[in-house]
Amino acid sequence: MKIAVCIKQVPSTNEVHMDPVTNTIIRDGKQSVTNPFDTYALEQAVQIKDQLGGEVIALSMGIPATERLLRDATSRGADRSLLLSDRSFAGADTLATSYTLSLGIRVLGGVDLILCGKMAVDGDTAQIGPELAEQLGLPHVTDVLAIDAIDEQNILCRKATDNGYQRLKVKLPALLTVVKDLNMPRMSSLPGILYSLDSPFESRTAADLSADPARIGLNGSPTQVVRTYVPQRIREAIVLEGDDSQLADDLLNIYSEVI
Amino acid sequence: MDLNLIKPMRDDYTDYLRDESRAIGQADSISFPKNENEVASILKTLYAQGTPITVQGARTGLAAGAVPRGGHILNLSKMDHIKGIRQSADGHFHITVEAGTILSQLRKRIEQKKFDTADWTPESQQSLEAFKDEPALFFSPDPTESSATIGGMVACNASGARSYLYGPTRDHISGLRVVLHDGQIAALKRGDYKASGRTLRFPTLQGNQITVDLPTYTMPRTKNASGYYIEDQLDAVDLFIGSDGTLGIVTEAELRLQSLPQTIWGITCFFSEEAAALDFVISARDTMNQLASMEYFDGHALDILRYQKKHNPGFSKLPILPDHVNTAIYVELHCQEEIDALEGLKTIGQLLEKAGADSKDTWVARNESDRDRLLFFRHAVPESVNMLIDQRKKTNPVITKLGTDMSVPDQHLKQIMAMYHRMLAERNLESAIWGHVGNNHLHVNILPRDDEDYKKGKALYDEWAAEVTRLGGAVSAEHGVGKLKAKYLEVMYGREAIEEMARLKQYFDPKGLLGAGNLFEPVKGEVSE
Repeated sequence: MKIAVCIKQVPSTNEVHMDPVTNTIIRDGKQSVTNPFDTYALEQAVQIKDQLGGEVIALSMGIPATERLLRDATSRGADRSLLLSDRSFAGADTLATSYTLSLGIRVLGGVDLILCGKMAVDGDTAQIGPELAEQLGLPHVTDVLAIDAIDEQNILCRKATDNGYQRLKVKLPALLTVVKDLNMPRMSSLPGILYSLDSPFESRTAADLSADPARIGLNGSPTQVVRTYVPQRIREAIVLEGDDSQLADDLLNIYSEVI
Repeated sequence: MDLNLIKPMRDDYTDYLRDESRAIGQADSISFPKNENEVASILKTLYAQGTPITVQGARTGLAAGAVPRGGHILNLSKMDHIKGIRQSADGHFHITVEAGTILSQLRKRIEQKKFDTADWTPESQQSLEAFKDEPALFFSPDPTESSATIGGMVACNASGARSYLYGPTRDHISGLRVVLHDGQIAALKRGDYKASGRTLRFPTLQGNQITVDLPTYTMPRTKNASGYYIEDQLDAVDLFIGSDGTLGIVTEAELRLQSLPQTIWGITCFFSEEAAALDFVISARDTMNQLASMEYFDGHALDILRYQKKHNPGFSKLPILPDHVNTAIYVELHCQEEIDALEGLKTIGQLLEKAGADSKDTWVARNESDRDRLLFFRHAVPESVNMLIDQRKKTNPVITKLGTDMSVPDQHLKQIMAMYHRMLAERNLESAIWGHVGNNHLHVNILPRDDEDYKKGKALYDEWAAEVTRLGGAVSAEHGVGKLKAKYLEVMYGREAIEEMARLKQYFDPKGLLGAGNLFEPVKGEVSE
């Protein structure tokens, strides 16, 4: 079974810096981590490979520094990785990104299964998985919380719903997006890290992919971010000290200011 | 003095009668001074009245050092200001904090380089600007409880996993302010007041000269937090570090920061045989210089984790332990460059193979979230054991955990481990062992099932104290002696040394009121439980 896992690099902290012109997140590769939901997708892919054989390919569209995260994926059981990286991909919304990723899947010569995290923790859109499936004309299931059975033809999985779950059988090839209850992502092992240093890694540009310039990056993105801002914290806690009557006075003063 | 400072004990203060050791004491009054002047006036007043005074920080200690034995509780938790920063001639930054400053909060400030500088001197503010331009710095001592106060860490010379490379709290203290029993204050900078032979002199801010003869004993050459730190040319600062609140009240400490390595990787290595784990430890210790910590977990500790992961939702986040392993060693690589860490990792792989272990049985954490998972794993061990004991306590209130804190010199590691295992098996006692194997400093935790086990465990503890002493070790390597280990201090140093320590204490505390019960076993007729 040939499985592709989509991986996104996201900022490791909440303190992101925005580009004041394009209103998109500045990604400099520093302190970036693998999107946590993608780590469950990777673990599931490796477990399926362990069960059925085959290979796991980590795929990402991102800046060159994303290579570090793709190699990290190969230290945790992926066999090889493919990075789609080109300045012209910058500023892509989910439509342009999923188009670009679909070209990556085609470079791989098609796959039996694509696994994605249910969403990225920076953009929170949860659109890439379904859009990528549509670009490739594949069936997809979102929010998968368990895989009950899988063989070369079909996959039987559980999709989380508001009230419980649905059990769905899907024909392969297909795309699933996964939630975090699916498994316990493994740690890198020492031989895994040594393997990842020399693991097969390829990088492709827009030209390599023969991408349509009107469908990639900012040009290919119908979504225009008008404004982003960091919400101001206006709540504040203060500690009052003193004896009971002093405290009562202080409280009264505060209440009278508010009311 | 503002009489309101000293409050009679009330029901809502009962938490202050205990600490993390789970020992419970009693007291008549409590205070929460906000500055050094208040500490001095409380001390002066109560000392004159003959009231025992127990100083407290966050009560995270494991040796009952902060548990009062009657009298007054001097709780310093309200003294938590970071007072300034200076750069010494050698380029190091030193940060001055009040004793009640919480370690985790201090770490956050240092990491973010953000301080409340309203009360800082212009010099401090200037140093802060230089500090901001500096690459990341840190204060290395890392006791398991990061909610500890700096004062508490000074009182017991706390360590932690990373003390293997960086040393205990003592090595990172460049100055102290201490309030003495009569309210006088000593402001001590490291290097300023050193003993001549075994006579120490230092001045107080009130203009008096303190001259004291130091004990003559020699300390063991091993990780040690037992009793007064004594050596030739002793620095006055060192006398107060690890003195368990028995000589004076430390109100302020100056901490020397060091550069934070840019690359920190944690590696948990699993073994099917303990012998292989110890061979690995010994060879890694001999050949690697970038290891900041070496921690050990025995098969019982791992079994307890397996159980918790299965039955307790709070522990479901634990990574899945390989079935065939019965020992784990956690090591941490601290390097500037990633390439150096990679070399270290390769060396670890070779040493594992040489020891007969499978390098596949490793967890390597190279980023924050993986490191957090390994940290969670390490902290889950003591936590699980405490939960187990609390469970047993419900049916038998007498039961409490018996945890050792002993260290021996390097050459005795295998011997001491064999002894622990053999004696625990002979007495049919349940146990879990973990700790700082790089320093041959293991916490053997006896988990009594009933009164009989508890008695057997206590007897075993006594035997180990004697054996560790015979091997040139220490009865407390990091928790301090407090009250729980006072009787072992005599086992370790002998009666004569204890009498010398008592004379030293008497000089600083003629009425025997400071930290009553700490370090010294109560003698008949003295204040006791």
